[in-house]
Parts: sequence; C-alpha cells; structure tokens
Amino acid sequence: MKDSIPLAPLQKLAWFNLAVFAAVVVLYSAAVPLLAWYFHKSLAVAAVPALGLFGICGLWGFGSYFLYDRRCRSRVKLDEREALIQQRAAMIGMALFWEVFVFSCMGVWAVLSYVRHQTTLPVGFLPGLVFAGMIIFTVTQSIAILVQFKRSGSDDAL
Amino acid sequence: MTPSETEQLKNRIRRLRFEHGEITQQELAERVGVARQTIIALEAGKYAPSLVLAFRLAAAFGVKMEDVFQWESE
Repeated sequence: MKDSIPLAPLQKLAWFNLAVFAAVVVLYSAAVPLLAWYFHKSLAVAAVPALGLFGICGLWGFGSYFLYDRRCRSRVKLDEREALIQQRAAMIGMALFWEVFVFSCMGVWAVLSYVRHQTTLPVGFLPGLVFAGMIIFTVTQSIAILVQFKRSGSDDAL
Repeated sequence: MTPSETEQLKNRIRRLRFEHGEITQQELAERVGVARQTIIALEAGKYAPSLVLAFRLAAAFGVKMEDVFQWESE
C-alpha cells in the first residue's frame, strides 16, 4: 500500500521559489495594463516601471528557512543525496545564467556598436541583466531540483 | 557514478528491512541519518550511496556491507 511522502526540505525550497516567481509573473501581467490604463500610457511604456514588482523575488532569501534544522539551527538538514541534487541543480542554473548573461552582453554591444554606433551602455543595463540572470538561475535551479527528485524514485514508496 | 554503473550496484535493503522486524523506510532513514526519499531511491537502485552511508546501513542491520550491497559485473 502506498502512502504519501512528506516533501524534503529541498523540495519545499524549490516549490517556494517557483510559487514566488509565479506570483510575481501574475502580478506583473496584471500591473502592466493597469498602469497603462491609469496613467494613459502605452503598454510598452507601462511595462518598464512594472518591472519593480520583480523586487518581490527578494522573498527568495527566506527560502533558506526550509533547509535549517529546527532543533539545531546551525545545522543544515540535507543528506548526501539531497546535497548532490542541489549541487547538480546549481550547476545547471549557473550554466543557463552564464549563457544568457554572456550572449546578452555580446548582443547588446554588437547592436550598440555596429547598428547605433554608440560606445556606451545604458546605465541600467548591467544591473538589470544581473537581476534577470539571477532570476533565471533560481528558477532553473528550482525546476532542476524537482525534476531530479521525481526521477530518483520518490514515487516508489511502501 | 554513471546510471549504468548505478544499475550494476544491487542491494538487499528492502529484504533486510522486512527480515529485521519489518522496519519502515522512515525508521531506517532516522537510524542512518538520511531522508526517507534517499532510502526509497536506494531501494529502487537509483542512487549509489557514499561509503560512509553504506557502512551505516550495514551497521543498522548488524550485517557486513557485502550482505547489503553487491556489485554485478557485466
């Protein structure tokens, strides 16, 4: 007879990260038309200030709460397999972040230099790109954690 | 360890659990200090444990490590 298995701390962290991201995407999607309507601007113009909602992703910092042992707060409660899963997931997330970051940098420089003949980058470009990159990293890492847990037989409980 | 190598590493954890008073996966996990999901993955042959965990598992059942894990060469 199969019974339910409580989520591992790492799975809770991954679901928390994805839930925060999904909430931000929903809020952003609602905020853009709302701002455009309220301030009588186009959707493209309203899309930029609404990006501030992605600051809610700062809640990810509280996700580490799931990884600490309540009885001994200085200790992280991951066993060796979970640590390996986290390591692999971080590697996948970092790889994707790096690809996006480098290609975006190269793309923007190419466009600015060869198309627009500019030699400087807009000041908001780099922090925006790093922020977007970290979102990509965290979301990819969370998905990779859940996929690895699914693949390694968590549904085969007795 | 590659997936094919993991498949070559067989274990008798599930049988040993039932031979030792039908202890549950959760109880065994607590004895050796891992998550229940790790015991599930081990029994399913989808995870190869570290040497330390392998010794802990053997000690939990009071048997030698080779009584828990066997390497099936091709």
